[in-house]
Amino acid sequence: MNTLLEAFGLVLQTDVLLAILLASIYGLVVGSLPGLSATMATALLVPVTFYLSPIAAIATIISASAMAIFSGDIPGALLRIPGTPASAAYTDEAYAMTRKGQPEMALGIGLWFSALGGIAGTISLMVLAPPLADMALNFSTYEYFWLAFLGLMCATLVARSSPVKALASMLLGLLVSCIGIDNPAGTPRFTFGSTDLLGGIEVIPALVGVFAVSEVMRAMVSAEPPKLPYRRFGSILKGQIALTRQYVKPQVRGNIVGIIIGVLPGAGADMAAWVSYAMSKRFSKTPEKFGTGHPEGLIEAGASNNASLASGWVPALLFGIPGDTITAIAIGVLYMKGLNPGPTLFTERASSMYALYIIFLLANVIMIPLGIIMIRVASLVLLAPRASIMPVIMLLCAVGAFATGNNLYSVLLVGVFGIIGFVMERNGYPVAAMVLGIVMGTMVEQSFVTSIIKSDGSIWPFFARPVSAVLASMTIAALLWPLGVWLWNWRPRRVA
Amino acid sequence: MQLPDRITGLFLVVLGGLAAYGGSRLPPVPGQQIGPNVFPMVVGFGLVLCGALIALGVGRRFEEAAEADLSAHSDLPGNAPQAARWWRGLMALVPPALLLFYVLAVDRLGFALTAGFMVLIAAMALGARLRLALPLAIVAPLFVHLVFSKLLRVPLPPGLLPMPW
Repeated sequence: MNTLLEAFGLVLQTDVLLAILLASIYGLVVGSLPGLSATMATALLVPVTFYLSPIAAIATIISASAMAIFSGDIPGALLRIPGTPASAAYTDEAYAMTRKGQPEMALGIGLWFSALGGIAGTISLMVLAPPLADMALNFSTYEYFWLAFLGLMCATLVARSSPVKALASMLLGLLVSCIGIDNPAGTPRFTFGSTDLLGGIEVIPALVGVFAVSEVMRAMVSAEPPKLPYRRFGSILKGQIALTRQYVKPQVRGNIVGIIIGVLPGAGADMAAWVSYAMSKRFSKTPEKFGTGHPEGLIEAGASNNASLASGWVPALLFGIPGDTITAIAIGVLYMKGLNPGPTLFTERASSMYALYIIFLLANVIMIPLGIIMIRVASLVLLAPRASIMPVIMLLCAVGAFATGNNLYSVLLVGVFGIIGFVMERNGYPVAAMVLGIVMGTMVEQSFVTSIIKSDGSIWPFFARPVSAVLASMTIAALLWPLGVWLWNWRPRRVA
Repeated sequence: MQLPDRITGLFLVVLGGLAAYGGSRLPPVPGQQIGPNVFPMVVGFGLVLCGALIALGVGRRFEEAAEADLSAHSDLPGNAPQAARWWRGLMALVPPALLLFYVLAVDRLGFALTAGFMVLIAAMALGARLRLALPLAIVAPLFVHLVFSKLLRVPLPPGLLPMPW
């Protein structure tokens, strides 16, 4: 109880509350602009978080990302252009609803079920994290090795692309993490004599490049999205309570799927929305109505993508394994703020963790009034020409990267990773898998080498401990899964 | 920069091969089985394998399914109408080139001039008229300088044109 009061004390500070409000507005604006994703919003926030208190820093990331994921629904429903990739799965459905003359309903579903989904995700974080932390206290390097390895495999399995390309992207990320002297032997690797490379590739500039600069590059070669015509909206939340009662099952299913996908490393809100929309159609009594402006799929997918946001923090806080691309950035901020991820975070810094839950709940509650305002002014925000936004973002990338270490080498890194991200995305290589490789490479190697030294070169202890045996079998199953699917698909064709 | 899978796959094979070779030349740590050379070699061999599979077109089907899904559900703005011209593709390189310019010039020219130039060029490249690009190139650096230098205390170089604050 004392911890809870302490946590409220941490959150109810002027700077934290102000940070939540400003980050929410920022998230809503960035999310609603097509081409600017929630991950990018988070990446650009990082330099600002340096100068905030730890709780305020986490608060900005949580509120900005939650708002951006909802806000991406706005241009989706009104223009058939998703504001963030997380809205892409049900953009068609929402737009069909707008064409039927119910834009309020489409946007209201997006807002209401996003907020409910976010709260469900937060509850999952509150329920899942402490028992897992208790268990994780007994983990040794063997378990950490398997966890990290399993996380990397998950990222390749759930990518919406060819699994081979996802695996290649992940390996590319691991290769990037090899650079520098940050390895168990302290030998300079792939530094080519450069002193800047000795310290390795810093994660934050790499992520800013991959998620922000590459978007600016994409804008250079793609057509500008059309402007949003001004439109007067009726009541946004009208009928949402009735829909909540009517579609309990899809909503709960959306929440659960979102939570599970959020916990899986590397898979985030966009994946959650795709899976939930497909599931909703599969299990619906009226699948023929999908695509004609039917609320069921919207509810399930809208609930799912916001639920995944909070549960993505579970592996991030417990093990330092990012649940999605947003938490990949958040982990960097956690380290910088002295809140090093790990199970002890829940015992030693319990009040900070409670504060994090409170911020999540708060952000999802204020999402409703702020979201309504955003919907009403969206046509004004979307009036801003792209030629005025993208140059500023590019400038922020440069200054933000510089601010991470006050050296110009980071700015160069941002540019290089912008090119890498752009080329990869164009050719179907999932960028998220590479990011996971960069973030987790050191962890995989360190835990493996330490384990091998402990076991004196024997592989047996990797499988001997009960938890590591379970994790190992899961990893091996994940490794063999694509092969199984491939063989399964191969079989009928050979018969035919 | 849409390249055939054969090219990107072969690139990965070469990159993986170089990584494995570079890794193999790293000195081992005496008395330890797993030195700093093992990880790059494993990653390198993995890349060679994946690159070869990609070049052979394995897994292409999954990608096509995902792309078809995306275009069925939303209208992402496609390539610009002028994209047919070869030089439009090179426009993508404008942002990284400007970042490189920032690295090279900011210490000499100072933040305000460098940033103003970057914003001006980027806005023009995105098709803005001078009427929009010029005021933006003046206001955006001022605003960014105010936030980062004044509030966040990032040491941005003053150069030729120091800020009044």
